[in-house]
Amino acid sequence: MTNYPILTVTTFLPLVGAAVILILGDRLARWIALAATLLTLAVSAPLYLHFDKTSTALQFVESVPWIRSWNIAYGMGVDGISLPFIFLSAVLSVLCVSASWTAVETRVRDFYAALLISETAMIGLFASTNLFLFYIFWELMIVPMFLLIGVWGGPSRVYASVKFLLFTLAGSVLMLVGLIVLLYAGGTLDFQTLAGMRLSVSAQTWLFLAFLAAFAVKVPMFPVHTWLPDAHTEAPTAGSVILAGILLKMGAYGFLRISLPMFPDALPLFLTPMLALSVAAIVYGAYVTLAQTDVKRLIAYSSVSHMGFVTLGIFSLNRSGIEGAILQMVNHGILTGALFLCIGMIYERTHTREIAAYGGLFKAAPIFTTLLAFFCLAAIGFPGLNAFVGEFLIISGAFTKWAGLGVMAVWGVVLGTTYIVWLYYRVALGDVNPGLRELRLDLNAREVATLLPLVVMALVIGLYPESVLGFIRAPVAQLLSAIAASPTELAGRM
Amino acid sequence: MSPMNVDWVHPGFVLILGAWLVPFVTGATKRWFLVGLPAAALVDCMLMTPGTYGVMGFLGQEVVFGRVDPLSLVFCYVFALMALVGMIYALHVEDDAQHMAALTYAGSALGATLAGDFLSLFLFWELMAVSAALIIWLRRKPEAVAAGFRYLLVHVFGGLCLLGGIVLHWSQTGSLAFSDMSPHAGSAAFTLILIAFLLNAAVPPLGAWLPDAYPEATVTGAVFLTAFTTKSAVYTLIRGFAGTEVLMWWGAGMAVYGVVYAVLENDARRLLAYHIVSQVGYMVCGVGIGTALALNGTSAHAFAHILYKAVLFMGAGAVLQMTGLRKLSDMGGLYKTMPITLGLYMVGAFAISAVPLFSGFVSKSMVVSAAGESHHAGIFLLLTLASAGTFLHTGLKLPWYMFFGEDRGLKAPKGKEPPKNMLVAMGIAAAACVLIGVFPSLLYRHLPFAADYIPYTPRHVVATLGLLGFTALGFFLLLKQLDPEPTVSLDTDWFYRRGLTATLPLVEGALARVDGVVAQASDWVVQQALAMGEWLRDLDARVVDRSTVGLGKLTLAFGQGLRLVADGNAQHYGLIMAAGALAALAIVIFG
Repeated sequence: MTNYPILTVTTFLPLVGAAVILILGDRLARWIALAATLLTLAVSAPLYLHFDKTSTALQFVESVPWIRSWNIAYGMGVDGISLPFIFLSAVLSVLCVSASWTAVETRVRDFYAALLISETAMIGLFASTNLFLFYIFWELMIVPMFLLIGVWGGPSRVYASVKFLLFTLAGSVLMLVGLIVLLYAGGTLDFQTLAGMRLSVSAQTWLFLAFLAAFAVKVPMFPVHTWLPDAHTEAPTAGSVILAGILLKMGAYGFLRISLPMFPDALPLFLTPMLALSVAAIVYGAYVTLAQTDVKRLIAYSSVSHMGFVTLGIFSLNRSGIEGAILQMVNHGILTGALFLCIGMIYERTHTREIAAYGGLFKAAPIFTTLLAFFCLAAIGFPGLNAFVGEFLIISGAFTKWAGLGVMAVWGVVLGTTYIVWLYYRVALGDVNPGLRELRLDLNAREVATLLPLVVMALVIGLYPESVLGFIRAPVAQLLSAIAASPTELAGRM
Repeated sequence: MSPMNVDWVHPGFVLILGAWLVPFVTGATKRWFLVGLPAAALVDCMLMTPGTYGVMGFLGQEVVFGRVDPLSLVFCYVFALMALVGMIYALHVEDDAQHMAALTYAGSALGATLAGDFLSLFLFWELMAVSAALIIWLRRKPEAVAAGFRYLLVHVFGGLCLLGGIVLHWSQTGSLAFSDMSPHAGSAAFTLILIAFLLNAAVPPLGAWLPDAYPEATVTGAVFLTAFTTKSAVYTLIRGFAGTEVLMWWGAGMAVYGVVYAVLENDARRLLAYHIVSQVGYMVCGVGIGTALALNGTSAHAFAHILYKAVLFMGAGAVLQMTGLRKLSDMGGLYKTMPITLGLYMVGAFAISAVPLFSGFVSKSMVVSAAGESHHAGIFLLLTLASAGTFLHTGLKLPWYMFFGEDRGLKAPKGKEPPKNMLVAMGIAAAACVLIGVFPSLLYRHLPFAADYIPYTPRHVVATLGLLGFTALGFFLLLKQLDPEPTVSLDTDWFYRRGLTATLPLVEGALARVDGVVAQASDWVVQQALAMGEWLRDLDARVVDRSTVGLGKLTLAFGQGLRLVADGNAQHYGLIMAAGALAALAIVIFG
């Protein structure tokens, strides 16, 4: 353990950076942002290095009583499930700053300030140990995101941004109601304490529904996913990366942190609909992706399909499924973040997102297409790269639950492979599109440096999945045994 | 296994890792390096002793990279030898990327052969698919790019069948070991894995990718392609599905299917590609028969086939390279200018036709005999029929039209002998064909199963010579009818390529109509997927999105409706207040 509140520092350092940027102005903004994000990553290093993987207790705990009359404390702490996401948030934030280096030219200091505020919200959410803080950071996240999309986004940015805001708020409001009910019913908002309590089945059912509203919109689950394509497409590159990389994971994280441990008796009722919706998201999302003509929208819809895999894994309620789901959340953050970064880099040069406007980039931009090929290979689940392991675990967890689920999941992988390979074919192979001939398309050193950490992470996780699985094994086992202790079915050998 | 244990070096990794060094070796040493790498892999294979090596843990399972036993050894020998021959043939190629792709491809075939568990098998399976697609793409012509894309899609689909089967198998048995699947016959895992193996073995109706893609590759690339994907699939079939009876009939049918389609072919390399399908049919049939003799025959035939097919493709490739011609209807009279190529090609042609004293005779007859021994007369007949057809086309028709026949008045250069390295490569492979034919024990002693077989019995030799003789007679009598025409055959892939080749002349024969039914099924699947995608996309935009956004609009409308009430008129306010008070009272009284 460290002798200073490492989680608080990690969480609020970006906020301090944002304040500094707002004071010092446009010229130094991106340098300060880079420094702040790198510093945050460095400061968080002891978290990963000194983490005890065998313990299921919260680590690096900080707890300060805050609102005594409601028994609310300022509580921070991490376990094996939240830690990988803190790392992912810190890394992706650095990469976002780097990716926006030349792309953002208007209101620069506001942009980087918003980026840093969102980093605070992201890390804070994963580090919080009670629902109050969780909710604060959940809501806090909306503001910079709304600005990022609405001010620096594409042609339909205002529509996309307002849509994002309303969808997310609608869900959050119900979460607030649930939070208040929990406070009254349980007397506390602390995660661990609440997980130990067993409220009445009807209370759990209503609460599950309330929180489902918020998480389902965030993940996003079918049919409340339609904010995602607009938001991802219209957002600037950094916004898309954060949206796809972290924001979507917050919803799934909510299921793992709140819904499953606190409302296990409600699960039998909701299990089948949840699995059905997951499978619907996988297959439906994949089909819709296949028919897209805008490259960013294509990747955005593919996120719907991939998050369907995640929720499928979570609601399989077996070890394989949940471990695979968490791993896949990390993988998706890496890969979809990488794909959005790639697209953003080429968009900076071509200013078009239409797939039909591309072609033959292999000749014009070999470095770019090689990196794109790597990420596409990873995205289709090539063995030896990260997504394979996650998919493998989720699919085996699904088969264990019910064979039909596994079949649908595999069908989703087939479609996923098709749209990714087809995308690569249309963008990179064939003849160079005449519209692109005059442009200098290939990547510069900064851009390659932005993508390289993601390459490394994809390889490391693919060849050595223990690097992530080692962290999550113990808390997942504890979660499963806690669910089993309640009269909920726990299926499978895994 | 400790990672520092060096009593075993994976020959596949020698090739795959060595491939990455190719761009860094320059000048004169490059050629030595390119030849040295597969030579080192071959030596490594020959030094391997049976055992289990390269065991690692992954996801709580045992992953075995080095399962060395007689069965995997014999395939490793021929794969490494083929890698060497192929690299010698390709020495003149200046493009590093092609060498890297070819070495990776050969290395992953070795990896798949030595894989002792499903996970490593899957890894190398996918790596083979990607590197083969790359080989095709590196010809850099539009038709090659399209063919490579189709190849990749088909093979990744097969890979996903394999993955599905593996996952199912794991969840049902808890083990990922790759061994005989017959205890699980009939299960979904069994079927899925079998389908994946059959797809890679180019078994119809899953094999249209082979004649589609192989002729589109470069001259040197195609030589590599012929050897590895299909034969590693044959290996996996022997390993996992030996004795599965349906394979017997399927393989025999496949042998005939390939020959029939070869009849119609005009493109020399496409004709040879269909012959791969036919010859692999013998192997699949042998797997289905499942006796020790049959499995030995399959292994022997795979060994021999890789070598003589290489000779044939190298010969046809040499003609293509030196004359630019690929269609038989354009060729002729090359015996004057390319005699050595012709001679070496004929060695391959005799080998594939199972002429005595050549490798095909000692290997193919094992499978046919096994069919006879297990009293499968129908199979025996089908395989014999295919043999006749094979000799007819590869042994007679192709060389006749390529090298003899009408001198079509070719403009200079009328072809001359290809570069020395290509001739040396052909020579090595041809020599192996003859060597095995004359001294069959050289091959037999490496065969995995204990079985005695003597190929040179008087009965065998006379029967074979009789078959060949009558086929030759028929050929010369029917020479005119067999004249190649510039037609294009349609295989099961026509329908998934429909969008690209809209107007093509129709194929002859009822077989194509039967095929059409199968083809329509695969075409329908692809069309449906795209149509479904578009329909769902529109549904998403018009229905799903609008309904959720509609809630917002409803709220807005409600608010606007309410706003009308606040119109400043005191009577309206009074009415509303009264109504509200009454409602509250009602709730209190009756609630």
